[in-house]
Amino acid sequence: MITLTNLSKIFRTELIETHALRNVNLQVNEGEFVALTGPSGSGKSTLLNILGTLEGFDEGDYLLDGKSVNGLPDSELSKLRNQKIGFIFQSFNLIKDFSIYDNIELPLRYRGLKAKERKDRIESALELVGLQARRNYLPSQLSGGQQQRVAIARAIAGQPRILLADEPTGNLDSLMARQVMELLEQINKQGCTILMVTHDPDQARRASRNIQIVDGQLHDSTLYEPLASQSA
Amino acid sequence: MEQFIYYLKVSLKSIKRAPLPYALTILILSVGLGVFFANATFYYRLNSDPLPDKSDKLFFPMTLITPYECNNCLPPRVLSYSNVQKLSNSGIPSAQAAMYSSAGYARLTLENLPTPVSLRVTQRDFFEMFEVPILHGTVWSDGSAENQVLVTKATALSLFGRTDVVGESILLDDITFSVIGVLNDWQMLPRLYDANGRNHLSEGADIYLPLETGYDLNYLSNTNSVSYDDTDYRQLATEGRAGALHQLQFWVQLDTPADQQRYQQFMLRLAEDEKSAGRHPAPINNQLVPITEIVDYFGDASGDIEAFALVTLLFLVVCLLNAIHLALNRYLSNQYEFSLRRALGASRSQLQLQMLADVLLMTIFSLAGALLIAYAGVVLMNALLPQNSLFSSWDIALIIALVMAALICSYIVTLYPSLRASFGSLNQQLKE
Ligand SMILES: Nc1ncnc2c1ncn2[C@@H]1O[C@H](COP(=O)(O)OP(=O)(O)O)[C@@H](O)[C@H]1O
Ligand SMILES: [Mg+2]
Repeated sequence: MITLTNLSKIFRTELIETHALRNVNLQVNEGEFVALTGPSGSGKSTLLNILGTLEGFDEGDYLLDGKSVNGLPDSELSKLRNQKIGFIFQSFNLIKDFSIYDNIELPLRYRGLKAKERKDRIESALELVGLQARRNYLPSQLSGGQQQRVAIARAIAGQPRILLADEPTGNLDSLMARQVMELLEQINKQGCTILMVTHDPDQARRASRNIQIVDGQLHDSTLYEPLASQSA
Repeated sequence: MEQFIYYLKVSLKSIKRAPLPYALTILILSVGLGVFFANATFYYRLNSDPLPDKSDKLFFPMTLITPYECNNCLPPRVLSYSNVQKLSNSGIPSAQAAMYSSAGYARLTLENLPTPVSLRVTQRDFFEMFEVPILHGTVWSDGSAENQVLVTKATALSLFGRTDVVGESILLDDITFSVIGVLNDWQMLPRLYDANGRNHLSEGADIYLPLETGYDLNYLSNTNSVSYDDTDYRQLATEGRAGALHQLQFWVQLDTPADQQRYQQFMLRLAEDEKSAGRHPAPINNQLVPITEIVDYFGDASGDIEAFALVTLLFLVVCLLNAIHLALNRYLSNQYEFSLRRALGASRSQLQLQMLADVLLMTIFSLAGALLIAYAGVVLMNALLPQNSLFSSWDIALIIALVMAALICSYIVTLYPSLRASFGSLNQQLKE
């Protein structure tokens, strides 16, 4: 569903040019769980942002469901982000003075859904992440792991087909990180394609596919065996 | 609609996040708009048409028929009694009245303390020509020289405690007058019939008396009186009618353009006749100024006001720039949230709707603040310039104009900062 061909991204400032991505070729199929690893500054976030159309690129092409996103107007791009793509960030990015419920509602508001439809979707997202009882809390009243689960609920409330997660467990301790991982696996099992940046080799191993980025270049992706058969 | 209410709620939340800078923005905007509104009220009043139905028919004639020799000079702003008589013989206007303002003391009996009153000494057509509403009684008959007055409703109430006082007497400077009429509430704004006075926005007179009576009782003009011969302006009763003492404002109602043409012809012939009789040494210069142009014609008063209007406009611009600066800081500190909303699928046009909600709230707050400040400003101006006592009523047209001004200013203050914030790079803010 995602095809990148010879994609390059250069950041230009007055002094320097940073080649954040060079000649990236990537094919991701529906239902995959892709882990992106690599040293800091290697271009992982840049790749994710381009996939999420938050950022443009300089060369090459990006086909989403067979259609090039290059040159799409803002209205089309925002529709893509709103309906096909869900984002999860390392720092959660919840709005501090919005309740949990209102935070999850955000993308649904921009989609122009009716009140009833919004409510149903928020309820089922809350149920999935197990936070129904906290719907009226403010983010600051929750633990980090719970906040990230709210962010996940927000990302999937719109039932996107792609979930982009940039170090979703980077700010969490290992117990909470495991819960978040389990949640992502569950979402992936329901058919959602996931691309996740991570530093944790254990997490990477649990993904169906592993891609390493070094210096803006993708290294041959390896298809890992499922954990169970590997240890056997 | 439901969505717009949501945007309003979001706006309120972001105001609550940093109430102080927002309050400061509103304050600055309110002060700028308030000062501007107060001045606009003044300007608007001065330039409005008090008699829209007949303002194209009322004219102020002036002529240089004086024993005064000069080249290139304008006719005096006021007429002598004898010139009014000559002009009054034209038979062309459907109404005409000469007038001046004076002052005196009124009381009911010699035992009461007298109260100062303002007087308008005039002729009977005055009331019809300027559409003065009569509550009780009638106007005096043409050319009356009797001790008769019409009083305003407020004067009747303050002297008698009631309004229906036709047939009662009052003492005006201790001479007995009979009240033949009471005016209903009447506010001609601007008070253009007082053509050469510089107080078009002040209250009208309290008491009205016949021109001949005013001359007979030696009521002196308290505005403009100029003598072009040796007439003593203090001897109105004995010398005022015959000599070249100019102190009368004179208005004529000319209903059609043809009448206006005829009247100008008449004035020209009159001046020529006077010239051949040796009573018009200067070159002929007649003026027939429409009431709608009278403020411009006697323009010096409104020159100050225009300069003041410019100053308040500049002040508003300075306030706007400051408000924009504050708003920009506010939006940039919220830029992270703009980026988040974009990442979650808000289009630029949806963010612009959010901005409109911001504009609406800012309009409401700054309008409320501005009206308060403008009201205080009008009260202050009335206190500082009593001869221009403004009536603080704002009519619908002015209110709409003021609301539009507040809306446009709020839009300007919000537009640039929110555009800056919504076109910012998306990925940067979300990382940290
Ligand atoms: N907005 C930007 N402007 C300039 N350089 C940037 C910008 N964003 C990222 N970079 C640079 O691009 C490279 C890749 O960054 P990034 O994708 O954030 O790396 P990672 O997420 O793998 O740590 C880095 O060298 C970084 O400094
Ligand atoms: Mg990164």
